[in-house]
Amino acid sequence: MKSYIKLVNFEINRFIKIYVSLLVITLLSQFIGVIVTSSSFMNRAHEVMFEQNLSESGYLHKFGGIDFTDISSTLWFIGPIALCIVALIFYSFMIWYRDWFGKNTFAYRLLMLPTARISLYFSKASAILLFTFGLLAFQILILPLENTLFESLILENFLKTRMDVSVILQSNGILGIVIPPYFSDFLISYGIGMMFVFVLFTSILFERSFRLKGIVLGILYFIAAVLLFLSPLFAMANETVPDLYPEEIFALFLVLGILITGASIAIGNWLISKRVLV
Amino acid sequence: MIEVNQLTKKFGRKKVLDGVTFTANKGEITCLIGINGVGKTTTLKAIMGLTPINKGSILIDGQKINKSMYEKVTFIPDAITMLPQMTIKQAMQFMRDFYKNWNQERATELLTFFKLDEKTRISELSKGNTAKINLLMGLAIDVDYILMDEPFSGIDIFSREQIAEVFTSHLIEDRGVIITTHEINDIEHLIDKVILLDNGIVLKEFNTEQMRQEEGKSVIDVMREVYQG
Amino acid sequence: MNATFNNRDPVYLQVVRYFKEQIANGNLMVGQEIPSRRELAATMKINPNTAQKAYKEMEEQGLITTERNFPSKITRNENILQSVREELISAAVDSFVQSIRPINVPIDELLRIVQEKYSQESSKEGL
Repeated sequence: MKSYIKLVNFEINRFIKIYVSLLVITLLSQFIGVIVTSSSFMNRAHEVMFEQNLSESGYLHKFGGIDFTDISSTLWFIGPIALCIVALIFYSFMIWYRDWFGKNTFAYRLLMLPTARISLYFSKASAILLFTFGLLAFQILILPLENTLFESLILENFLKTRMDVSVILQSNGILGIVIPPYFSDFLISYGIGMMFVFVLFTSILFERSFRLKGIVLGILYFIAAVLLFLSPLFAMANETVPDLYPEEIFALFLVLGILITGASIAIGNWLISKRVLV
Repeated sequence: MIEVNQLTKKFGRKKVLDGVTFTANKGEITCLIGINGVGKTTTLKAIMGLTPINKGSILIDGQKINKSMYEKVTFIPDAITMLPQMTIKQAMQFMRDFYKNWNQERATELLTFFKLDEKTRISELSKGNTAKINLLMGLAIDVDYILMDEPFSGIDIFSREQIAEVFTSHLIEDRGVIITTHEINDIEHLIDKVILLDNGIVLKEFNTEQMRQEEGKSVIDVMREVYQG
Repeated sequence: MNATFNNRDPVYLQVVRYFKEQIANGNLMVGQEIPSRRELAATMKINPNTAQKAYKEMEEQGLITTERNFPSKITRNENILQSVREELISAAVDSFVQSIRPINVPIDELLRIVQEKYSQESSKEGL
């Protein structure tokens, strides 16, 4: 347990520079986005009012106001979120491969630590999850600040609606997936996310254990896990299968999710303890 | 004692080890010699549980390799096992964090002996110095057995001399050492036991002093006979 | 302490011989402390086990004595030291005689040549 915590700490430190850069990029891009979008809106509004000789209410009547969804749908806002997601998915691979590649094969050291090798597996998974939740927490933290900034940059009358954070989350599709406004949705999307981290790690370990053959095995394992998890959807599409209540569907996904996660960890444990090569 | 018994390892259809059997004692330096091929390194990796084997058994003091054995036996591969961005100090700290029996005193002693500065980054080390730090990481754990893969290959003569000096010092004291090499010149007087491998089988296993005493042959004489005769 | 070893004779016997030579030529004296096994291994660049074996052999031959927890010393037994010297001399002479005999040199001539060569060698070494 102690070495697991040390390993998690170690894995986090190894990525911290890039991670902090991601946070800074997100912060800058979103704040710049708020400023640029709001001020360009206000400038344009004033221009249009001047050219067409409109009053504020005349402009608002003709063109409408602005609210935070106009901010949160810009590339300034969504771009860094997408970048963070891509970076973390990419790092889920790199967190393994960086130990094997290069002249300095750190994998030797890690695999020779006097600790159960499954700790390595869990420490890497934990690092990815902590990074993910860290990004989320960061986004949740800066969102009200961005909102406040936005509201201070827009003249009162031009605001369509004041939104609080939960409304912002519900009103934006992508943001709503990244940060589900309801706790149950939150558990579901991150539960699924966690499951896929384990499935991916086990697929990677297939490759690290059996190399060329392992690539095929890894891909097959990944596809099989996805298909198995989605099988209720296929079943429901089939009209001969009786409809299920939402609770039953939820329970079915839950059971499948636990099953797939458990199997991934068990296979991952076997691979990293008995089969993996350096 | 490390007992390797009928060790067989295939890569695809090719057998790189085919029933390799030998023992290596504590307090002795055992040398795995092979003119070519990958058998030597694979043998060490197999002992350490770093590659699955197809057949045979490996026992270290009667036990199979498991996580706690990594505090009893250590492996020094021919590439450094620490991250390039680490300083020597950080690398030592890493070892200290994870190995109960890391011996910081000995690590410091080795650092002084090798005349290296702990503030240096691993990536800045020359080839010879990298080999020394690699050795340090293994030797400063209080293990009973040390496996080294080609500790002398590809480094300058002075680094080789320094590393050879380690073998005759208290740093090796009473431990069991297995080293692989394809070149015997530097270490002929250092080793107790020789295992000659070729094409995945043990051609001959002998004690160097006994060989000199009973047959008046040097290690190279025996190698010449075995590999060329 | 500087010795070169050949690869075909047991290294431990070569170490023993080295010590005998040092005793015979007076570099090692009666009762003198000798290096520990570890030091010997390090300076001679040999395996510590070999050094150990050499010391064991010397103890058995009575050349050195070791008391518990003390460094080994050259024996104080003059008879043994004397016999070491004699043994070395006689062994060297034996092999010399063995190789010169087939040439059949008259003994007077031989002794004269030996004398000349010996003094030449000695002056070369600055002795």
